Amino acid sequence: METQDLSQYIEPALYDVAYAWHTADIPFWITRAQQAAGPVLEAGCGTGRVLVPTLQAGVDAEGLDLHPGMLEMLKKKAAAVGLAPRVHLADMRDFTVPRRFALITVPFRGFMHLLTTEDQLRALRCMREHLEPGGSLVLNLFYPTLERMVEPGEVERVEHEFDHPETGLPVALVTVRRESDRVRQVLHAEMELRESDARGYAGAVHRHRFSLRWTYRFEMELLLKAAGFPRCEVRGGFDGRPLERDTDEMVWTAWKD
Amino acid sequence: MRPEASTTAAPSPYEAPELYDQLFESLDFDRHFWLEVGRGCNGPVLDLGCGTGRVLIPLLEAGVDADGVDLSPAMLDRLRAKAAKQDFHPRLLAADMRDFTLPRLYARVLCAFNAFAHCETLEDQLATLRCCREHLAPGGALVLHISYPGTALWLGAGGEPVLEHETTRPASGHRLQIYDRRFLDRVNQSQRSEIEVREMDSRGGIVTSHRFETRQRWVYRYELELLLRLAGFARWEIQGDFDGAPLERDDQQMIAWGWREPA
Repeated sequence: METQDLSQYIEPALYDVAYAWHTADIPFWITRAQQAAGPVLEAGCGTGRVLVPTLQAGVDAEGLDLHPGMLEMLKKKAAAVGLAPRVHLADMRDFTVPRRFALITVPFRGFMHLLTTEDQLRALRCMREHLEPGGSLVLNLFYPTLERMVEPGEVERVEHEFDHPETGLPVALVTVRRESDRVRQVLHAEMELRESDARGYAGAVHRHRFSLRWTYRFEMELLLKAAGFPRCEVRGGFDGRPLERDTDEMVWTAWKD
Repeated sequence: MRPEASTTAAPSPYEAPELYDQLFESLDFDRHFWLEVGRGCNGPVLDLGCGTGRVLIPLLEAGVDADGVDLSPAMLDRLRAKAAKQDFHPRLLAADMRDFTLPRLYARVLCAFNAFAHCETLEDQLATLRCCREHLAPGGALVLHISYPGTALWLGAGGEPVLEHETTRPASGHRLQIYDRRFLDRVNQSQRSEIEVREMDSRGGIVTSHRFETRQRWVYRYELELLLRLAGFARWEIQGDFDGAPLERDDQQMIAWGWREPA
């Protein structure tokens, strides 16, 4: 198996706040979880951006993540709202948990951390084994836009600015490098979390890099087929519209027989 | 980027084999590669989508025991006539690449010059690959060439006529020009081309205009590997261009090798 670069998740408290603005997909995941006819597992649950509100909605859900710091953060957040979620420190390519689930989800492009076909198939097969008969797997991936394919590698783009959760001082999430390996289908990115001091001067910089493997539409269909899912469907967004443009988000559902 | 609805039902270029030959017969960018593949395998070879024999006739000339399959009887008629002039009488079958049956097994099945892009759905692709695999002797290989659908392809999606190829008709001395209007759908990996072949006299006046339409479905590298896996090939390898180098850039040609399990 490929080793994972987890530097993206090195500062769970900052990660949590840096992506807290991203809420548009949460109602979709809660609705899917509520519609499931049994327990739900979220693979790549991180600090609980989706899992905590899902539990608050009364769903019987568990989480799985590779990163201990992220899970600690999740437990802290859950405890603050009176919840004690069952979470598993495990790799989505190779895990064993006791229950079988009606629904397994991989939100927020977590599947794109798997960089090779073999890793993708391992994860899909492992998740399939943890589904009840008739259960479903739901995951989302970005479609690789033509614009992204041809963009220059060096960029300096402030993605988001927010206040540090402990000090209240400003922090910026900045993309500094982004490069697409077109035939290997991997996006290599480097980002920085830049802290400031009380007078507005530059403070600590947390640099992290990550790689995301993109997958084309029919390739994903073949992966699901090869992993033993006989039936699948793709949508072009969380609103359920058809996949038509390369700027659409791919939202996949695959069913176990 | 969705293709416009087809307004005219233009024929396939394979319904005009003589014109097709005059346009493409001289293309030899891949001939050396296919000759190497055919000569190096110590067994019979099947050329799938052989057309008028641009690759198959040179294989026969090189002493390779080669048969051909093509969907178009008109293309095969022309191939047969050309081969007969050199006293070659290859076994030729007019059949669909998704479902053909020949009485023997081959050391190599060749699928040249984007013929595989005629498979427009995942089911078509898998049926074709399975059929190829069934016609391979144990340890034999399918060798397939398809252009990588790189950014240059998708950026050229304007639907403007582009001069793609130009040649001279020997008998009349007329110029032949192929103009291609491409309609591309990136998400569905499909291309529809409206092709116009203009035949022009020495003063540049248009003598005739032939219109055709083609459809293609493009595949990416890992997608092609998964197709070979699901079609039951024992192992596979993707190369870039015709010199056996790894595929590293999206402007390279994709050569896929898929091996059947040895005996």
